[in-house]
Amino acid sequence: MEEDEFLGEKTFQHYCAEFIKHSQQIGDGWEWRTSKDCSDGYMCKIHFQIKNGTVVSYPGTSTHVQTCLPMEEALELPLDDSEVTEATAATEVIKYEYHVLYSCSYQVPVLYFRASFLDGRPFSLKDIWEGVHECYKTRLQQGPWDTITQQEHPILGQPFFVLHPCKTNEFMTPVLKNSRKINRNVNYITSWLSIVGPVVGLNLPLSYARAASQNE
Amino acid sequence: MAEQPEAVLPLPPSGAADGEGPTDVSPGTEEPAGDTKKKIDILLKAVGDTPIMKTKKWAVERTRTIQGLIDFIKKFLKLVASEQLFIYVNQSFAPSPDQEVGTLYECFGSDGKLVLHYCKSQAWG
Repeated sequence: MEEDEFLGEKTFQHYCAEFIKHSQQIGDGWEWRTSKDCSDGYMCKIHFQIKNGTVVSYPGTSTHVQTCLPMEEALELPLDDSEVTEATAATEVIKYEYHVLYSCSYQVPVLYFRASFLDGRPFSLKDIWEGVHECYKTRLQQGPWDTITQQEHPILGQPFFVLHPCKTNEFMTPVLKNSRKINRNVNYITSWLSIVGPVVGLNLPLSYARAASQNE
Repeated sequence: MAEQPEAVLPLPPSGAADGEGPTDVSPGTEEPAGDTKKKIDILLKAVGDTPIMKTKKWAVERTRTIQGLIDFIKKFLKLVASEQLFIYVNQSFAPSPDQEVGTLYECFGSDGKLVLHYCKSQAWG
């Protein structure tokens, strides 16, 4: 029986650090945040999406992280709130927030996310489902409650949506085993996020794929 | 393992609607793969206990998306709807469903082909 590939918390943090390093190089906006009273931490990214499909990424606003160069497109696009409130539904701006936390019980990373309109109206579970990529909809419709649920963020204590981690090992194990066979070091976080991210609108730039195999 | 003749990836059925333009549905190799840069060569490799495809080498038009390729492989392998199929570049990274294989070929292709690993899973319930 094959052993599952579990991820220890320190290893999780290491892979996150490597991931963020690359994110900073390409201005992808991920940053590390620690909770005030414990040594827990998580990766976080905020991005704004205009409903007609254009994506604008902004770096996080934390000051303890070295600000990375924003992408050129981001600089040119003003996000004046007053303009947005007058916008029609077709040009509404949505704020997506993604957090990558470590689950001690499952020993895997977990993706927490939430979305809201700029006026603060949060996305409902129904809104989230509507934003799920077409190709995942059939699968999710078979058991949405098993896949995306609403839970309290373990560190922030606020309601977030969560992509359930119980099957993570199942899809990560073959990938990791395969890489081990050919002695390629794989960034677990990069691989995992490339798989689960698109389900909820988070697409990783391709350069992560190259960085993941070069870093180690 | 005998050398497989290159096969041309057929058009998806009209129900698939992935928004791509009309392409050849040539059964053989009338159009040399990789020529005129309209099609690229893809070598598909199975990961884990995923069934191995009898035909591994395919000539695929550049604009085919990863999702289009996934749908094709799932049909070819006769996977059920509850089974998920993942495709990886560099054996470790899953490109987004809308990513075009032409772009992947530019970034990760070598020796005139793009090697993609595929793996099936019951992930997400």
